[in-house]
Amino acid sequence: MRETAVIFRRELKSYFLSPIAYVFGVLFLGVLMYLTAQQQIVEGQQASMQAFFGLLPIVFLFFLPGLTMRLWAEERRSGTIELLMTFPVRIGSLISGKFFAALAFLAVLLAFTLGLPITLANYGSLDWAPVIGAYVATLLLAGSYLAVGMFWSSLTRDQIVALLLALVSLLILYAFGFPRVAEWIAGFLPTWAVDLLGGISPYKYFESISRGVFDTRDVVYYLCFCGFFLHANALVLHYRRQKG
Amino acid sequence: MSMRSNHSHLAMQNRSRQSGLALSLTLHCVLLLLVLGQVVYLATRHRARIDATSDQLYSLTESTLRIVGGLEKRLVVEAYFSPKEELPADLRNTRVVLDNFLDELVQIGKGKVVVKRFNPIEDKALQDTCTRIGIKPIDTQSSTTTAVGVSRHWQGLRLVYDGGKQKVIEQVAPAISFLAEAILTPAIKEVVTKERRKLGFMEWPSAIPGQQGQAMGWEFVRTMPDVSKRYDFQNYKDAEGALVPDEVETLVLFRPTDLTDRQKYVIDQFLMRGGTIVLFSDVADYGLQPNRQCNKVPMAADAKDSQWKWQDQLLHYGIDQPGQIVADLAPQAGQAQNPLTGGFEYMGLAMQMGMVRQVGYPYFFHAVDGDWSQPQIANKLATMGGKLDEEQAAYYRRTLRPGIDTDEFLFKAFRQFKRGPGMYWPALMKLRSNGIEPSLPDGLSGRVLLWSSPLTVIEDPQASLNPLMGRDLQSQTLANASFNQKLQQRLQSEPRRQAPLMLEVSGTFSSFFAGKDRPKKASELKEEEDRKKADADAQKPDGEANKDPEVGPPAPKQEKGEDQVATASKDPEPLLAASKKGRIVAFADSDFVRDDFTRGVYRQQGGPHSIFGAAFFPMLIDWISQDSDLIALQSRLPSDRKIALLGDQVDEAADRRDTEQKLRATRSA
Repeated sequence: MRETAVIFRRELKSYFLSPIAYVFGVLFLGVLMYLTAQQQIVEGQQASMQAFFGLLPIVFLFFLPGLTMRLWAEERRSGTIELLMTFPVRIGSLISGKFFAALAFLAVLLAFTLGLPITLANYGSLDWAPVIGAYVATLLLAGSYLAVGMFWSSLTRDQIVALLLALVSLLILYAFGFPRVAEWIAGFLPTWAVDLLGGISPYKYFESISRGVFDTRDVVYYLCFCGFFLHANALVLHYRRQKG
Repeated sequence: MSMRSNHSHLAMQNRSRQSGLALSLTLHCVLLLLVLGQVVYLATRHRARIDATSDQLYSLTESTLRIVGGLEKRLVVEAYFSPKEELPADLRNTRVVLDNFLDELVQIGKGKVVVKRFNPIEDKALQDTCTRIGIKPIDTQSSTTTAVGVSRHWQGLRLVYDGGKQKVIEQVAPAISFLAEAILTPAIKEVVTKERRKLGFMEWPSAIPGQQGQAMGWEFVRTMPDVSKRYDFQNYKDAEGALVPDEVETLVLFRPTDLTDRQKYVIDQFLMRGGTIVLFSDVADYGLQPNRQCNKVPMAADAKDSQWKWQDQLLHYGIDQPGQIVADLAPQAGQAQNPLTGGFEYMGLAMQMGMVRQVGYPYFFHAVDGDWSQPQIANKLATMGGKLDEEQAAYYRRTLRPGIDTDEFLFKAFRQFKRGPGMYWPALMKLRSNGIEPSLPDGLSGRVLLWSSPLTVIEDPQASLNPLMGRDLQSQTLANASFNQKLQQRLQSEPRRQAPLMLEVSGTFSSFFAGKDRPKKASELKEEEDRKKADADAQKPDGEANKDPEVGPPAPKQEKGEDQVATASKDPEPLLAASKKGRIVAFADSDFVRDDFTRGVYRQQGGPHSIFGAAFFPMLIDWISQDSDLIALQSRLPSDRKIALLGDQVDEAADRRDTEQKLRATRSA
């Protein structure tokens, strides 16, 4: 646990020391807030955060791989991964430290968006419970995306390749949840396969939780999804350590 | 040489170790994926759900859960949907709502609900099927800078229960989840319900002839789809005067008039059996002539040969109807507050060019959903000549009641409009009292659910209540002002009081006919008459008495069965006290649900049109039948969470561009 905390602190500090994080943060918040304000803060519109949370999965899709691409690839490129591997640190601690640091950084960014619900609550009667639920759901979704990004980052030393792999895989996973894509797939795949692909898409699970409905299915899905990719990440590192 | 071969051997070993490791890791991953897949699958099958929204927006009501949870056979929901991506934005949102609702239905159905989706857009055969079964396409207009087009979409449902009974919802586009529930749950209930609930009724149509000279009854509200699909109304007002069968739990009495003693007995015995009586009552009948003369039409509660008075019978049950009518002079009680009703809910007069003129008429009004005992209202009522009578104000604060004096779910939907259903020349009807407070018979309790405002005038029914004397507009306007002024004067000279418009008495009733002779059925009376005639014949000299059989054919022998039938049709022993708790729900008016008012017969001539009456009746029947399943759906509305950037400065109909300009001005200020 102490090892995880040490790595967590080191990683989190590195985010705030690097200009990329600030560029990332400003761009992320700028795009998100601008799009939301355009759609949501209009006289007579219902005071709701649905537009904001509706945009988040798409915005995350393009921004989060940028955040995770450097997590392992950078270590490999600079050669520090070998050093890390020789430390008496468990691989699990390494991964969880990095993972939670990225999540914490994202949580800090999301904290900056709290101005939006506060504004809406000021001008309308905002229902807070679904908003809080949606923030929790956002962290779960972000965790899943981060896990996928970290996994791809561990497989390559090139950050751009890691970024593209993460982006494409997330895009594909996300697309499986869209009815139009499902319909297209149904043209050449059996129904069970279409259902299976739809079932692994994070799209479907974010929808209900983001509108304030907590479903154990959604939470279990995100935990499993996240757990699988983090575990796969650990296996890759374990393989590297074994390989020497 | 050997060193080289050792090296290559080691390299080979290393490679095979690495490939073995990679294989084991891959297998590890696959196994983990399978296990986690199982976990997610199990979590999908056994899930718990918490709807954190304050309006419970995404939770199905107990009603739907009960109906769907209680399915015995398989319910197939055939969804004829165009692809979501091809829908225009508004329809796409409704699709999300609909999809969510169908998903939830499948979940709570636990295998009993199956949703089958069809896309009729690309399949001509499916389009034909849709047309055949009654699903209609939704045509939407789309326009660009250069062209205007119409696109066709499908969004309809067919519910098939147990492969047999089915129900088609030709188009469905719910904007919010509970609207989806309000549409689909009644449809499901309809398709899975085997038998409609039986309700009894007796009606005494108005003497005022309708447009084709037909008597005005209450058929419209009884045959409305919302009612007739779930309830089977059977008429128990027959010439024989048979008792209402045991399976009927509710008896609706539409404006009892010319009541015979036998009919009163039938009603009494129904109540003694623990039945629920819904009474739409009136004490006077007024006609709405083309010029709105509002002349009184003769009407009597009791039949000419009736021995017992209906008024006394009601009083025996705890309801006092002294034969007066009520007018409400509160401006908000006579204003149709819903734009849907236009100017037609209350009195109107058709003018030239299709224009309609609304006429102030205090005899047409509704209960206002507001607390009349509020200090500022009580103070205002107690102020005479600019001087506040503190004692009187305190009395008003203590005694005045809210217009809708109940939290019953029956009125939840009406509360959204801050009013009750509109009534027309309502009668004064109150709980029996000792002059100071209600004094109901032992075993009974009562309450008033709807009240008029404190600006109520109670009077004996006058021969004419014409608000529009005169032929031309000017004289009519003057006459109307004078009519209302007179009522105002009456009001000023009387104490402020409220009149009950709807009340309920429940408990263990005692029979009005206890200690009285049981009124006989028509057949019994005839039998008696025949017997008397036979006795009279028997007393005649022999030659005369036996004359008839010789003239005609021989009388047929009486068969065994006839005797049995005669015994079976005999009245059971009168119940002198109720065996179960009964209930009377009484309304001070019957016109507001009558055919001519609810159908909008007078709408073309400017009103009245009882739109709220027609909406109220199905809710009332559901409430009476304790079918909270459906009424709970009807009364479910979300909280208004509109953003008001400018507060009161902007009205709802304002142009958005103006709003933005105002907003900018406010900001810069």
